[in-house]
Amino acid sequence: MRPTAFLAVLLSASLASAQEETPAPPSETAPIPVKPELKPPAPDAPPPPVPEPLDTQAPVPPQDAPLATSGESELRPVADPNEQRLVNGAPLHNPNVAVHVVQKKRFADEGRHEFTLYPVVAQVNGRFTEHAGSALHYTYHLQENFGLQLSSTYNWYSNESLFNLELIDKVREQAQAASALLLVWGAQAGVEVTPLYGKFAFYDNHLLQFSLVLNGGAGIGSTRVLVRPEVSNQVDGESFTVPARFGDTGTKFLGSVGGGFRVQFGDSMALRLEVRDLVYTARVDRVDGCNLQDFQKLEDARGSGQDFSQLGLTGGCQYKKFDGVDPKTRKNYREDIVLGKDLVSNPSSDVLNNLSFYGGFSFLF
Amino acid sequence: MNARHLPRFVSLALVLTALSASAQEQVLDPAAVRHRLFSPEQRLEASFTVGLPAREYLTAHYNLNAGLAYNFFNTLALEARAGYALSRHTGLARSISESFLAREDKKITDELEDMWEMNLHGVVGARWAPIYGKLSLLADETAHFQAYLWAGGGLASLRRQSVIQCTQVVNRDLGICDNRTDPNNGLTATQSFWRVDTRMAPVATGAVGFRFFLSNGHAVRFELRDWVFTDEYRVNVERELWEQGRESGTPAPNPGLTHLVQFDLGYSFIF
Repeated sequence: MRPTAFLAVLLSASLASAQEETPAPPSETAPIPVKPELKPPAPDAPPPPVPEPLDTQAPVPPQDAPLATSGESELRPVADPNEQRLVNGAPLHNPNVAVHVVQKKRFADEGRHEFTLYPVVAQVNGRFTEHAGSALHYTYHLQENFGLQLSSTYNWYSNESLFNLELIDKVREQAQAASALLLVWGAQAGVEVTPLYGKFAFYDNHLLQFSLVLNGGAGIGSTRVLVRPEVSNQVDGESFTVPARFGDTGTKFLGSVGGGFRVQFGDSMALRLEVRDLVYTARVDRVDGCNLQDFQKLEDARGSGQDFSQLGLTGGCQYKKFDGVDPKTRKNYREDIVLGKDLVSNPSSDVLNNLSFYGGFSFLF
Repeated sequence: MNARHLPRFVSLALVLTALSASAQEQVLDPAAVRHRLFSPEQRLEASFTVGLPAREYLTAHYNLNAGLAYNFFNTLALEARAGYALSRHTGLARSISESFLAREDKKITDELEDMWEMNLHGVVGARWAPIYGKLSLLADETAHFQAYLWAGGGLASLRRQSVIQCTQVVNRDLGICDNRTDPNNGLTATQSFWRVDTRMAPVATGAVGFRFFLSNGHAVRFELRDWVFTDEYRVNVERELWEQGRESGTPAPNPGLTHLVQFDLGYSFIF
């Protein structure tokens, strides 16, 4: 079958499906049966008159009509049909109808897939660290209120905070390496529950549905630590800006808890606003795979001009990152050995909370 | 698929997308949440809130506020708030002050930023609540809420205690700059010798929040609020001068703004 013919068939199927899934709007002029208010009758009051039906044809309640309107014997027609226009199956203008709440969810989640792209994920609790990145989540809604979730985050910016740099500059203090550990990326599997849902209106114009989502998960994340901030390098009268240098501190266990709102637009689009706390263990005893003994050997060899490959370093030590000269900035990487050694000379550990705001869009199918 | 079929594919995909969007528009209600549990329009409102620090660097604030508001409409109100913030230095600030006294490699330095603590304050602002919603809690229970933005300004009394300039060093090695009787217990001190400055300053504040209506006239509110005021600190201060009790350094030319970000929990009664 040619692609265009195939798509034409798809188009026809889509139209038929849309017609089936979109219920016909309830009539705005038909009288709607409503449940009268229950009031104790006055002792001398005559019995209430039986109202005459306005139309001989019995009104047909819509499929999603509230249960409060189902008692045929207590029904009475209402004179002004415009005040009884159905919205979500409830005559919202009728003061006799007490239940104007969310009768049922308009969009079912069970069995659906949801991809969420968070273009901006920004850390909001950074004291010694600053993170900004993007995230992609996949959720399979196993049940209406319970789903399985895979999440990935990549921080395209992660650095020590200006506050930490201020402490270094003004009072010669700084956070321990473990407290300033930076998260580069994370991948997790977890669950999501939507225990509450509701609806809201913006200036009484359009009605939107939302859910409160709570999620949690566990996985791994890649971390790094700032070895040297951005500096200026003076060589032969020329000044070069040397970018900040980071050292790899390995992958760590990652856990998360979070929550927020999912506002649904139509059947397949949603906006998500969430806060998620990424918790990861931090222990810094190696930088770029090199431990304290490795750095000691590198420092000794640096003074004597010895070849680093002959030092008998541990297998994971990436000594080449501390050797050579950057052709662009003419920065001698051997000068960073002492900085790496400082980071691991007092091994530090911490449990870090990276609390971030997530704003993104979902596509459900 | 070759290049000849690409325009047809794109146009058909666009048609499909448009049809899908059209179908989704049909299920959006033009009506809204009509029946409010309580309408605050043209009513007076009294409130009490407690603010907790959302993030702490060198200072922490616990803010107690009372407010009076008039709701011109369901969506717009004018509110006056006044209160007092209980403030303190964080453990990090105390640690810096103790270690800096013994540091010999930093004789000239700048004061740290964002050290002002807010105490008494009063602000007036507008609250705009364009969103009214209902949240299904249990099968037959719903919570009615408003989401709002708040913006306003006023005056605040500010106090700044340095962690660098000690006018009377008692014990440099232990970092003691007060009259404590027990060197290991700072609570025994009755007088501190750290430099203290005070001032009154304009303050701006903005918030985003929710308020949930409990029953007729009662509501609880949750806010994320930012208090903003200009910072002031000195640069190039010399240790020898300040320890002699003499003025040192110059005001920072561009001190920037200080933000106090807080979670507010509150209760409102609508008369």
